[in-house]
Amino acid sequence: MTALIAAVLVLLLGAGVCLLPLRNAVRAAIGIASQVLATGLVWFTVVPVLMGGPAVIGDLAWAYPVGTLRIRLDALGAFFLAWSLPMTLLGSIYAAGYLRPYFNTRRHLGLHYALLNLTSLSFVLVYTGDHALVFLLGWEIAALAAWLLVIWDYTNQKVRFAGFNYLVSTHVGLIFLVAGFMILYTHTESWELGSFGDWLRRNPGSERNAVFLLLVTSFGLKSAFFPFHSWLPRAHAAAPAHVSALMSGVIHKAGLYALVRFVWLIGTPDEWMGWFLIAFSACSALVGALYTVGQRDLKRLLGYSSTENVGIAGIGFGVGCLGLSWHNPALVAIGFAGGLLHVLNHAFFKCQLFYAAGAVYQATHTVDMEKLGGLARLMPWTAASFLIGGVAISALPPLNGFTSEFVIYSGLFPGAAASSGAEAMPLTAKVALCLAGAMLAFVGAVSALSITRAFGVVFLGAPRDANVVPPVEVSLWMRLPMALHGLGVVILGVLPVLGFMLVRGPTEIALAVLPGALPATSAGVLDAIAHTLSNIGVVSGTLVACVLLLLWLRSRWVKPPVASHVTWGCGYGKPNARMQYTGSSFSSDFAQRFRGVMVTLRRQKAPEGYFPTDAYLITDCVDAVERRLFSVIKHGDASAGELSGHLREDDPRIAFAAALVALVLIAGLVVLAGGPLQ
Amino acid sequence: MTVDVALWLGCVHVAIVLTLPILLVGIVNRTKSLWAGRKGPGLLQSGWDLLRLLRKRPVYSAVATPLFRAGAWVVLAAAVLAALIAPVLGNFAPLQFHHDFIVFAYTLGLARLFLMLSAMDVGSSFEGMGAAREASFSAFVEPALFLLIGSASIATGHTSFAGLIGHVHNTTAFPLLAIPAVAVLFILLQAEASRVPVDDPLTHLELTMIHEVMILDHSGPELAAMQFAGALKLTTYAGLIAALLNPFDPAAAPLAAVVTALAIMALVAVAVGFVESLSARLRMRLVPRYLMLASIGAGLCLAAAANAWSF
Repeated sequence: MTALIAAVLVLLLGAGVCLLPLRNAVRAAIGIASQVLATGLVWFTVVPVLMGGPAVIGDLAWAYPVGTLRIRLDALGAFFLAWSLPMTLLGSIYAAGYLRPYFNTRRHLGLHYALLNLTSLSFVLVYTGDHALVFLLGWEIAALAAWLLVIWDYTNQKVRFAGFNYLVSTHVGLIFLVAGFMILYTHTESWELGSFGDWLRRNPGSERNAVFLLLVTSFGLKSAFFPFHSWLPRAHAAAPAHVSALMSGVIHKAGLYALVRFVWLIGTPDEWMGWFLIAFSACSALVGALYTVGQRDLKRLLGYSSTENVGIAGIGFGVGCLGLSWHNPALVAIGFAGGLLHVLNHAFFKCQLFYAAGAVYQATHTVDMEKLGGLARLMPWTAASFLIGGVAISALPPLNGFTSEFVIYSGLFPGAAASSGAEAMPLTAKVALCLAGAMLAFVGAVSALSITRAFGVVFLGAPRDANVVPPVEVSLWMRLPMALHGLGVVILGVLPVLGFMLVRGPTEIALAVLPGALPATSAGVLDAIAHTLSNIGVVSGTLVACVLLLLWLRSRWVKPPVASHVTWGCGYGKPNARMQYTGSSFSSDFAQRFRGVMVTLRRQKAPEGYFPTDAYLITDCVDAVERRLFSVIKHGDASAGELSGHLREDDPRIAFAAALVALVLIAGLVVLAGGPLQ
Repeated sequence: MTVDVALWLGCVHVAIVLTLPILLVGIVNRTKSLWAGRKGPGLLQSGWDLLRLLRKRPVYSAVATPLFRAGAWVVLAAAVLAALIAPVLGNFAPLQFHHDFIVFAYTLGLARLFLMLSAMDVGSSFEGMGAAREASFSAFVEPALFLLIGSASIATGHTSFAGLIGHVHNTTAFPLLAIPAVAVLFILLQAEASRVPVDDPLTHLELTMIHEVMILDHSGPELAAMQFAGALKLTTYAGLIAALLNPFDPAAAPLAAVVTALAIMALVAVAVGFVESLSARLRMRLVPRYLMLASIGAGLCLAAAANAWSF
């Protein structure tokens, strides 16, 4: 408790000192140092809670309208805090390398580091606040800090537009959140999440459903679920790489935290809520994965894959939610443990991928994959980092993405083991879950496609564009965060039990929510998951060992030197780099089959005449949701204009008619509400 | 199952994984040549080819990175691991645990990813094209496998791959489920092992290839690894069909189960050869539709399993 408050104060102090007139390098050092200190202080409180200790609870007296502020750190909050702060710290370290060109300019870097500190601060508030106002305050600090971090390059109009797009979206989300909280407050007259939970548990019905939908919309906007994702690719493409990484990997996980928190507060959710979550998340996973296929901007691609991955985690939470409504401990454990594990794994590999993309940008000044190629030879560290992250994000063994998707899959194909819970699972539910599993398999294959495309085009082959500066490997400041994230990805993949140890505490809370829960049953289902995960670890380890053995045997068998020759081009001996397969040709066949979702714009000038001079073809995959949104606004604007053309403002008849309609509506509402208010 | 029997079956399974890829490719080729009125190469010819390749010195593209060399061995290791999880002899696999079928599918996915990356590594437009085709076709194949496994899991209530494939023949759903399930697995075999009508392993034009075009620049030991991995996928899927249909329980009647499994796998190879002799490769545009047939068939399996369960 004291350590948490100390961490908040250290972060605030660090942010304040960063703003003082100092050299930029000193400001960066102060920012990083305060984050190191705060991380240590937070871990000091978090680690005991995560290892099974009691929740840390404390009250802070505050002035009148707020009342007592309750701070409550349980295993769920501890789980999120445990990695959010260190990852922000790594992001700040990366920033020291990424923003190096600005260090000796007049640009004030202190503000940037102060905002990074505030981001860390917002995590402490959101993940420990048991008071709705503290929660909202943290939520808002995170949103504003992220906005200001996104518009680092504010002189660029596109960047400002992306920033405002994000700011508007996140505040639309805030409106939904506040609406949900207001409904809860009117019933409980308390700002404490615990009393919200009491009311939610006792009053199933339409109002609870409305609150659920409001909150899911808000959290969906925060975490960029489809169809609320359209701000995300813009913001991720515009922001500096470490900001994209932190937003995608860490900051927007707050939406998932809040989702899980409120599902647990509901206690026994209605069955439709679980199905709704699964369907909503499955749509996100599917559409997000499809969008990654067409992108030519590496960071936009990674942004869309966030939508995909929050969807995958959401499927897990949906399964857990179904388990809560069916009182099935095995499904509760699998769903929430799988979902939370995926959140952690995603934070590891997504930050890593964004860091690698940022390294590409710093070295070549572009992230347009059609201009890049053959970077693996010149930037081996970055290439290895992107490959590790890519294999993990495609959920392939032996890396960590596989372990969490495995747990989620095992909830979708429960077999006899899970249905022997309190009541057997209905057949239709089994079939529906099986269909969700098939869809997840499709999503996995699609994300493997887009990662092959991205890695293959950017890092393999030969450089495509002679105008791109020949890159050199980035500085150690940028390689260190990549290496640490990569290490995490590998360790969590080969020793998945370590990751499970972190999510075990939170999952126990979910199991305790079940009525009539026995500690023995909870321990049983959790041990079963741990056992299966240790099998995965053994298999992954075997796979790595087999590959190493084969490579060793090969090195004994084939003695250098080996011959080298030009790539086979059907007998053509002078291939050039422009003849390579491009990213858009890689995806065009697949994109063609999903035209409805993946809108591809083409601009072309076909070669004409016997001696064509110039010809080009430019394809770009744009966001269908955003296009649709704008076209609806356009049509709405046009029809509103048409209507106002027919009506004359100074006509008194229209004013009378409008007043009459308003009166009738109000009377109708009064009648429906059961008489005038008491 | 006693330890002795399990050990014996494990040895048989490993022996099948190591030798049958060569033999099954031989049977497919022999069937095709007999159908064409030729005598054809010996049944072990592909084995001799592999030995010859292993002794050759490789030639690498000047563009290739170390990933290119490692790729082939990752593909081989992943294919072998998947083959150890897949049941071949009925209700038995050397590696068997809850939900191991997910590991099976994703290990093959890893093999595919490294196959495609090795293809992209040499910077050739042809190999990029092959990788793009492989990537998009595999997306259409993957749901079918999971739907099929899901229906077997609903029918049997088991959670391990060997358990749910090996027990289907005991359930009431089997008569309804058997035909679509075998059809689905057969289409999956054709897609994963690159056989006609999805892909033609003997085609001569790079533009019409999928698997072969991705390994155009592989040579020597790496080519051998890729070819063996491809043949191993054929064996694995043939083994799945055998395990699905095998009426003998390998724990109770090991010998009968092994003999039946081998016979069914040989029959599957003959069937692959028949299809290759009688039909041509589909146009690329139509391949996804053919692969969607597998998903539809798997949907039928799901309906059959659900139907039988509700009675």
